[in-house]
Amino acid sequence: MNEGLEPVADSNGGAMEVATRDVIAPGHTFSTVTDKISSIVLARRTPPGWWFGFAAAFLLTNLLMLAVAYLVLKGTGIWGVNVPVGWGFAIVNFVWWIGIGHAGTLISAILLLLKQSWRTSINRFAEAMTLFAVACAGLFPILHTGRPWLAIYWLFPYPNTMGIWPQFRSPLIWDVFAVSTYATVSLLFWFVGLIPDLATLRDRSQSRVGRVVYGMLAMGWRGSSMHWHRYETAYLLLAGIATPLVVSVHTVVSFDFAIAILPGWHTTIFPPYFVAGAIYSGFAMVLTLAIPIRAIYGLEDFITSRHLQNMAKVMLVTGLVVAYGYLTEAFIAWYSADPFESYVPFNRGTGFYASQYWSLIACNIVVPQLLWFKKVRTSTRALFTIAIIVNIGMWLERYIIVVTSLHRDFLPSSWGNYAGTFWDWSTFVGTLGLFLALLFLFVRFLPMISIAEMRAMLPEAKVEGRE
Amino acid sequence: MSALERNAGEVIPELGRHQRPLLAAGALGLAVCAIGWVLEPAQFYQSYLMAYMLCLGVTLGCLALGMVHQLSGGAWGVVIRRPIGAASRVLPVMTVLFLPIVAGMQDLYVWTRPGVVAGDALLQHKQLYLNVPFFLARAGLYFIAWNVISHLLNKWGLEQDQTGDPQIARRMQRLSAGGLLVYGLTITFASFDWLMSIAPHWYSTIYGVIIIGGQGLSAIAFLIIVLEWLSRRPPLDTIIAKSHFHDLGNLLLAFVMLWAYFSFSQFLIIWAGNLPREIEWYVHRLQTSWMLLGGGLILFHFAVPLVLLLLRAMKREARLLVRLAVFMLLARLLDLYWLVAPDFHERGLALSWLDLALPLSLGTFWAGCFVYQLRRRPILPVHDPEFDEALGDILERGRRPSTAH
Repeated sequence: MNEGLEPVADSNGGAMEVATRDVIAPGHTFSTVTDKISSIVLARRTPPGWWFGFAAAFLLTNLLMLAVAYLVLKGTGIWGVNVPVGWGFAIVNFVWWIGIGHAGTLISAILLLLKQSWRTSINRFAEAMTLFAVACAGLFPILHTGRPWLAIYWLFPYPNTMGIWPQFRSPLIWDVFAVSTYATVSLLFWFVGLIPDLATLRDRSQSRVGRVVYGMLAMGWRGSSMHWHRYETAYLLLAGIATPLVVSVHTVVSFDFAIAILPGWHTTIFPPYFVAGAIYSGFAMVLTLAIPIRAIYGLEDFITSRHLQNMAKVMLVTGLVVAYGYLTEAFIAWYSADPFESYVPFNRGTGFYASQYWSLIACNIVVPQLLWFKKVRTSTRALFTIAIIVNIGMWLERYIIVVTSLHRDFLPSSWGNYAGTFWDWSTFVGTLGLFLALLFLFVRFLPMISIAEMRAMLPEAKVEGRE
Repeated sequence: MSALERNAGEVIPELGRHQRPLLAAGALGLAVCAIGWVLEPAQFYQSYLMAYMLCLGVTLGCLALGMVHQLSGGAWGVVIRRPIGAASRVLPVMTVLFLPIVAGMQDLYVWTRPGVVAGDALLQHKQLYLNVPFFLARAGLYFIAWNVISHLLNKWGLEQDQTGDPQIARRMQRLSAGGLLVYGLTITFASFDWLMSIAPHWYSTIYGVIIIGGQGLSAIAFLIIVLEWLSRRPPLDTIIAKSHFHDLGNLLLAFVMLWAYFSFSQFLIIWAGNLPREIEWYVHRLQTSWMLLGGGLILFHFAVPLVLLLLRAMKREARLLVRLAVFMLLARLLDLYWLVAPDFHERGLALSWLDLALPLSLGTFWAGCFVYQLRRRPILPVHDPEFDEALGDILERGRRPSTAH
């Protein structure tokens, strides 16, 4: 099904080409795959590099704790938000983190339904990334309410004696439902996929604690054919449920802006353009994480050049869709003949935030065009650099969307500029720490590649008549 | 195998028997419609624009799907590669058929009338873009781009059939990557020019995306019809399996959902904003009898096909799927009617006989051209690098597989 991604013969020809097409390096068997992946988790001794990385991430997590504690103590005044820019870093970071999560769902659900079997070695890891990214994203709107301990009361509709309900016509309330559904389904999907591997770890674990903990999490998995049958049905169903979420969550996020009538926010291209941007940034983050991890843990056999190239292609396509969004937005702003609309692209390009705007164009549109070249797609260093640049670019994009539209209101008397404060930056950098710390824990305690699915991809697993 | 290397016209003689009646009936229909052109030229041009956009949608949709398949691969595309090529080779005819729209510009687009522009500050601002010479130059550019892409892809496809040179696939992939980029941009601006500027004050950034989705949907529906017809006749009766229809049915479902997603996004954002310049497009569509058409679209362009396409049996039974595909082409016509007609009849539904006669005649004529093109090449791309993987097993066994998955 997916073989057409690369032509069969190439002018370079021969063996090189075959190697870049492999999804698993040749020579692996059931036991080598299981050993290789489970040994990372079951190794008695934690590698020093892990301790170092985790410590750094944990330090940043503490910065987050500090920033949140100070926020609770003093209120949102410690942030840079004020009239007229009432939405600042919190919303920018929320949209950025939520967007990153989308690649995980796309890889695990949509590529599964499209029978793109190359997704197998990256899906577990990408799903974990989704969960941690959604966790980081969820913090921001709750913190932004100012009194997070009351957030439940404001956000969730519950029958109360006062007869007070949230404003259901506000997309912010739709967000509550969209994001909480997304988090729930992603967690279930990830956990269901983990069950057979947790059983493998239970059976292989040398320590009593490991056997008990993995045993409980494996929920009595014995690998009988009935177990497998039900497992596969459940997994496919969850994939089906997760698929619309890839589109719906960021669509609702785009409504947060587009439903308003602010020039630069209120434009009909926003839903598909936000979804494309989310997938774009998500794949950039998967590459940012996958490239160092595969090098450190020696997983080049499983996360092959083929995976990296395919992800680079997805980035190229979604990046072009995002560019299409910028173009139509700018063209229609002029075409509308509305002075406020036409001012938006002009102000972005020449106004107070021009340097951020042009950096965003460079990061999101100019630099990623290098991905047209196969040489770039096969170079891990180049890919890693481009992925980081796209991550920065997508953050800047949300910054530009949120801030430039707010800082120039319809009345010049209500104009004003905005910049993040130390506490804004601390919260943002802190969530990066939280994300990485969770990721380090995941890599240490759970198999980051699906052992069961990898085994099914081996030639040994191809039983006559199964296909 | 040798039967597959000969041209479809020789292998499937029935194709030849259909070509002339289709062309004749289409030409006759267009001749009858010419009476409408004499009697009520303004109505003729409106109906013609709608009919033209439907046929162009199938043509360009096929061209774009062909390019997507060059890049993505997949068994779904191998069996429809040649019908895709034949549809895209109708493009030169479609280029000539654009001329009536040029002739009817004064009737279709108010911004071409100097009297109207003189009294309208907004149109004066837009004159930099919406003026007759630039409009024609852009249309010329779009057609050159589409024709060049289609010509090269078809030429290389023919070379691939004849020589089997594996390098050609690589070349076609390169062109497809750039070609899709060009298609996306040109069709966006073409839809702004030809459809959106009917209501010259109104604007919507998602408009081009809605048109792209619609063209994909039209193309998939059309290809299902062609494939079903071919699957009942040798040599493809032993080759096309239920799984091919299943894949195409899933694609049809995806495009139905995409169309609904794009159209609803546009509606929700404009409705919630309720700004005078944006909502005007919906006011006469939703506050007059045009609302019936809007309701019909929700039902027939979304709800009914969505429910039916979720059923597995629907997608695997070619006889059922083909009926839905015909239905979807009619729904596409309904959508184009919704995009074009209400701006000319703001008071409410005003169906003219030309709204039915022109799509029917133009569609029939188009189908005749398609059959002519289909006959002239082999029916399967036997030298395509994907061919063996997609169909090799089936051909070796030489019988129809019961199920492929």
